[in-house]
Amino acid sequence: MLDTLFITFATFALLFALGAVLSPNAINAALCFLLCLVSVAGLFVLLEAYLLAVLLVLVYAGAVVALFLFIIMLLDLKEVSAWKLRGVSALASVAGAGLLVAGVLAVATRGQLDSLPLAAMPALGADLKAYAHALFTTYLLPVQLMGFLLLIAMLGVIVLSKKFTADAAGVAAGDGSAAQANLGAAASTLEEARK
Amino acid sequence: MSVELLQAAADSNRWGAIIPEVSLGCLALLLLVLEMALPRRAHRLIPAVAIVGQLALLVGVLACFNAPYLGTETFNGLLVHTRDGQFMRVFFLLASLLVSLLGAVSLARRQLPRIEFFHIVLVVSAAMMLLAQSNHFVMLFVALETVTVGFYILVSYFRASPLSLEAGLKYLITGALSSGLLLFGIVLLYGVAGNPLLVGSTESGMHFGHLQTFLAANPDHFLASLGIVLVLCGVCFKIGAFPFQIWIPDVYQGAPTPVTAFLAVASKAAGFAILLTLVHTAFAPYAGLVVPTLTVLAALTLIFGNLAALTQHNVKRLIGLSGVSHAGFLLLGVVASLHAGSAASAIGAVQFYLAVYLLASFAVFGVMTQLAPAEDATQELDHYRGLAKRQPFLAFVLAVGLGSLAGIPPLAGFVGKLAIFINAFDAQLYVLLGIAILGVVVSIYYYFGWIRVAFFGESTESETAAATPREGGDGQPCCGCCVTRFVLGLLAAATLVLGFYQGGLGEWFFSR
Repeated sequence: MLDTLFITFATFALLFALGAVLSPNAINAALCFLLCLVSVAGLFVLLEAYLLAVLLVLVYAGAVVALFLFIIMLLDLKEVSAWKLRGVSALASVAGAGLLVAGVLAVATRGQLDSLPLAAMPALGADLKAYAHALFTTYLLPVQLMGFLLLIAMLGVIVLSKKFTADAAGVAAGDGSAAQANLGAAASTLEEARK
Repeated sequence: MSVELLQAAADSNRWGAIIPEVSLGCLALLLLVLEMALPRRAHRLIPAVAIVGQLALLVGVLACFNAPYLGTETFNGLLVHTRDGQFMRVFFLLASLLVSLLGAVSLARRQLPRIEFFHIVLVVSAAMMLLAQSNHFVMLFVALETVTVGFYILVSYFRASPLSLEAGLKYLITGALSSGLLLFGIVLLYGVAGNPLLVGSTESGMHFGHLQTFLAANPDHFLASLGIVLVLCGVCFKIGAFPFQIWIPDVYQGAPTPVTAFLAVASKAAGFAILLTLVHTAFAPYAGLVVPTLTVLAALTLIFGNLAALTQHNVKRLIGLSGVSHAGFLLLGVVASLHAGSAASAIGAVQFYLAVYLLASFAVFGVMTQLAPAEDATQELDHYRGLAKRQPFLAFVLAVGLGSLAGIPPLAGFVGKLAIFINAFDAQLYVLLGIAILGVVVSIYYYFGWIRVAFFGESTESETAAATPREGGDGQPCCGCCVTRFVLGLLAAATLVLGFYQGGLGEWFFSR
């Protein structure tokens, strides 16, 4: 039963991942990505990691993919024309694919992937309480740092997108009012011209 | 987990041990509060607050250099406080102080938001300080991401310039790729270390010490080797070692000059701090894998960096690619530190090289900031034609900085390179040493090409106009420029003095 479910979810995850990469239509790609995430969440449920499954659906499938869709619709993306592989990029793709195959083969043959039967494994990641405890004791410092990370990310969005006017920063003339600022700028231009 | 265990965990969160980082964070928040609270005409004081605050912190860290918590782990082993960590703290504080100074000069000429720049620089340097002391992959990754996200913003800060935006996008994509590689490696290591079928498996496989114990019990495990190689790849993106240097020229060119300096010095040093920590603690049992990998990387980096820099005409690209070759010299030091017998002195040599690189790089970047044309990314070698006649002082600082970067005998850069070469010789890395010495010879060619243009090039009228240093954007001669000139003079003097006499500082670095 478990094996059947695993194979089903794993196949779906792979197929939808391929669909997300190969689909020429951006919206289809985003929806394929969504279904891929739902399949992976199914895999987590099979591992009894319910919390991770719920978080994956809530955060990624719910929030992140919805954001993707918003942006795709906002930009009104047309279908991307299928790109052609030529010259160096074809060579690089072949080399990359070769490396990938070699890597997967090496992991499969030499990876020593044996593990305990599922029943004997402790079900980590099933319990919200354990996460909460760890976050507020052991990992308190990274959590605080994450706060700063989010703050500078927010500031970055403001810096890179907000319309900036000269008088808003009080640049010129050391005086807030825009008229005086303009006067100061004009005077300094005159001075430079004289030099 | 029982209540007692949780309490023990909470008790080891000693905030006193990270006062410098906490104060930097508070200072960064204070800047934002000041921007809101002060009237607009007082906003020009805020950069000064940032600079003076960092100066005070720097003095404080230096005064408490041998703090009582040295050699202990705090925050449940997330951080470890060592001598090297203290050195990196001072290094990052000095770097962010100088970047703030250059940023104040550079931003004064532009219509851009300012306070956010200083805020992000402060947060990034606090994260770097934590990064250099991290002893746990969770801490390392969170700190590294904070640094990287900060740099995404800083690189594209001159958003009116298409080159700056392009650089930001390129850095975002390559940075995401490198974070992905690093994370994949970390997860593989954590997964392998947590496998209950293996000897010495541990649930805390993210902790460097525990991981080291596990790896020592399982030599030659394929997945662990794969994880180690992936983590090394992720770190090599940060230091710009050869196959991962692809982002460097464009990002260095497009980024605002102060940010280029920050990337070239602090980001690279952060990468080397992590690399040294990892190869000497967590990955030490896998030296048989790490040493050949780093040796090949060092050789390729030295060859590529020097050859690629030869053909550059844009000074920012030139500095970027020569920075790749400096990463090669530093990697040579790291490889030397992995050979028995010379570990401690080689680490000291790497740190001395970093310190000298900071002094010389900021001297050069300071001159570049002073002479930057309106379009920051288009700083060509021709702008420096005849600089010695127009600006003798700046030309002198430039010559000292470039000479030190090239490693010319009376300057500090020579001593730095010499220390690394001596350690490499002791570790019997003769082939690498040969490549490095050839690299030095090649690097003298392109550094001296720049000096020759500045001192012996005849300047035409239009170029003179393009490269005259400008005062503050409001036309008043700013006191910031005098301060910058004073600091540039200090950097040049320190580079000169450290070349002749290392004194107690040299003793601290070399005899450990």
